[in-house]
Amino acid sequence: MLVTLAIPSTIVCLYSLLTRGAYGGVERPWTLENFKLLGDPLYLMIFFRSLWIAAAATALCIGLAFPLVLFIARSRRKNLCLSLVILPFWTSFLIRIYAWMFLLRDTGLINTVLRGAGLIHDPLPLLYNDGAVLLGLVYGFLPFAVLPLYATVERLDPALLEAAADLGAKPLDALFRVTIPLCAPGIRAAAILTFVPCLGTYLTSDLLGGSKTILIGNVIQNQFTAARDWPFGAALSVVLMMLALVLMFAARRHGEELV
Amino acid sequence: MNRRMFLLGAAGAAACGKTKPRLNVYNWSDYVAPDTIPNFQRESGLRIRYGTYESAPEMLAKVMTGNSGWDVVFPAAEIVPPMIEMGLLQKLDHSRLPHLNVFEGIFRNPPWDPKLEYTIPYMDGATGILYRRGIAPEPEAWADLWDARLRGKITMLDDPPEVFAACLKRLGDSINSGVPDQLRGAARLAMAQKPLLRAYLNAEVRDQVIAGDVWAAQAWAVTAGQAIAAAPDRLAYSLPREGFARYCDTVAILRESRRGDEAHRFIDYLLRPEVGASIAQATQTATPNAAAQRLLPAAMRENPVLYPGEEVLARGEWFAAQTAASQKLRDRLWTEIKSA
Amino acid sequence: MKRGLALYAIAVYAFLHLPLLILALFSFNASKFTLWEGFSLRWYRAALADADLVQSAINSLIIAISATALATTIGTLAAYALWKRSSTWLAGSLYLSLVTPEIVTGVSLLAFFQWAFRFLHWKLGMHTVILAHVAFSVAYVAVVVMARLRTFDPALEEAALDLGADEFGAFRRVTLPYLWPAIAAAAMLAFTVSIDDYVITSLVAGIDSQTLPMTIYAMARRGVNPMLNAISTMVVIVLGAMVLMAERLRSS
Repeated sequence: MLVTLAIPSTIVCLYSLLTRGAYGGVERPWTLENFKLLGDPLYLMIFFRSLWIAAAATALCIGLAFPLVLFIARSRRKNLCLSLVILPFWTSFLIRIYAWMFLLRDTGLINTVLRGAGLIHDPLPLLYNDGAVLLGLVYGFLPFAVLPLYATVERLDPALLEAAADLGAKPLDALFRVTIPLCAPGIRAAAILTFVPCLGTYLTSDLLGGSKTILIGNVIQNQFTAARDWPFGAALSVVLMMLALVLMFAARRHGEELV
Repeated sequence: MNRRMFLLGAAGAAACGKTKPRLNVYNWSDYVAPDTIPNFQRESGLRIRYGTYESAPEMLAKVMTGNSGWDVVFPAAEIVPPMIEMGLLQKLDHSRLPHLNVFEGIFRNPPWDPKLEYTIPYMDGATGILYRRGIAPEPEAWADLWDARLRGKITMLDDPPEVFAACLKRLGDSINSGVPDQLRGAARLAMAQKPLLRAYLNAEVRDQVIAGDVWAAQAWAVTAGQAIAAAPDRLAYSLPREGFARYCDTVAILRESRRGDEAHRFIDYLLRPEVGASIAQATQTATPNAAAQRLLPAAMRENPVLYPGEEVLARGEWFAAQTAASQKLRDRLWTEIKSA
Repeated sequence: MKRGLALYAIAVYAFLHLPLLILALFSFNASKFTLWEGFSLRWYRAALADADLVQSAINSLIIAISATALATTIGTLAAYALWKRSSTWLAGSLYLSLVTPEIVTGVSLLAFFQWAFRFLHWKLGMHTVILAHVAFSVAYVAVVVMARLRTFDPALEEAALDLGADEFGAFRRVTLPYLWPAIAAAAMLAFTVSIDDYVITSLVAGIDSQTLPMTIYAMARRGVNPMLNAISTMVVIVLGAMVLMAERLRSS
């Protein structure tokens, strides 16, 4: 099993050290040429912007998911509530994005309603900007935050919160002093499962951002398609993977296991 | 595929149907008429397994391994020479293609495969400007897509060769230029245009032009044809003065295929005038098959979006494969444009 | 506070389901474009009559269910093994598979399969798609289950061992019941990433294994197609009904 998991990462590391084939694929000789990008401000800037957007989306996802998970954990029909969170995601990604585009377009539902109500004259530019990309990411990755959080919050003993209340803690106090620390493993898992896929995303920024901004996922995608430079794409991926691993190690508390 | 066959497949047995001879055809999505395949199956007795791909690199990645399982593919003209060079394609046997005489003009000996040794032209088109009638300026040149009056209402294709082609043509250079200075000049133009752009959109621009979100778009002829068919009085299409890109998809047999006989029969079937015409009608695409063109209804045959005439097409230029160095520079500049 | 929470939950559910409602609404629209022209079932008829679309939906379900079952089992065991005895290699490869961009996973798996086929007489097909889906969803399962294990008191398992249970019995009777909610959540996650994957699937899919996302991408390239809304609505209704039934069975 270890082998299956390690195959893609091993192959990508090998590819990153090879030379590009004229029409895609890889050839010898072995080279470090592809890693020159590390000194290139263009790519570093794109890395930085991708990190920033992924971090913002992750923070929003967890912030939105946490109260929802508290609600689900206390409800009587937990599985049903949980299924309702995940249900919209059993449709295709593209279909969901098209639905959002229909909502956000100049001639879309939101602008039409606002104009019909006389609240605005010119349509609001809701689509094809960073805000739309962020919205798409938060929407797309919310379940990735809800499910791991639920896995830890569910076992939280209500007696603990009652005890805190009996000892005079206000609800918010209890939240920050009792609930959140006890759910730390879930929060970390949620952060990893949203942050990491966000970092490599490219379709959301293409479709909702109108391809006007470029994230590192787009650059990598491009190397394997239009640019046909697999080794460079692999090198970019290796840098991205290292970055994600370093951040994950840095995020754990001292002396603690990963996850 | 039914469940039992799936289990067989999962067990590792190559689940080839042993009853009927079959042929595996790998095409772009939406690129045949609904009855093209069923009709062929009925008359030939062959079973066709028909799969589709969304991008040339996706197809290339699979067939490059030489073990993809497909027999017939539809490569774009600019990747034909590389595919021949990599030994991926089988030579065609012209004696088994009696309908090969349907081509005229450029398509008898196209630049990418002058003797039609490996490929047969399948569908062609050009890239121009799809726009809303009555806007000012009414775009007749690429330069009009840099007009500030259209700010926020313009889109360009999300495809590096196409954006470079428009910018290079505006500068008076070849769309296939590999000259670093020319490419840098084109990239500067693209960056200057970016603040005016609504987005970079491909085929999905169609619905937005119809709805009125977009007023002027760099668009493929096939997209434009469909949009104009939906709103003929509001929309128009022009092939810019400075020159424009032409593209062609071809049909070829993979070298790995051991069903050369069946594949030739299938290709000859596609070449038949009535089959070519029904495909051209269903997909609203221009066919290079002159005999098929003559069978089209007049409204379609005379549609200037699909068949603009020799005089206009003379301004067009075919896409060609880029050298590794030029490709590398173009990609770097594309990344710069996108992050500007 | 409780009422506030409920209101909040309703708002989030609205956010999550709004696009779904929109697409369901337009699946009943008579017009091809996004303008309301009256109620019609024509897109449902068209979708059901399209053999490729139905076949790919069935393929998707078979792949997602098989991959979910395998990935949930393997991922849970991996998390348990890691919890018992930490292994940098196992943890490392789990994380690497999580941080690898989709396209890279796809291209590498394709290269690997092609290499392996030289020794095995296989071709790309459903089995390669299932293997690929297992490969990328195991890490999701492991991370979710691990988060729950971190809150588990090992003393409980030791107590079971002291009381005479063998190791497997202790795992089955004590640890596993504790993990159930996490395993269920992880399985849902695995199912979601599997049924929705396009990038990796399109690269490793063979001649007989077109999935629903692949068909949808192919059709949507030229813009909105209400048939896709219809098939998506049907998939959601079928799966939603399955979930409801499972819930009924459990509670009865």
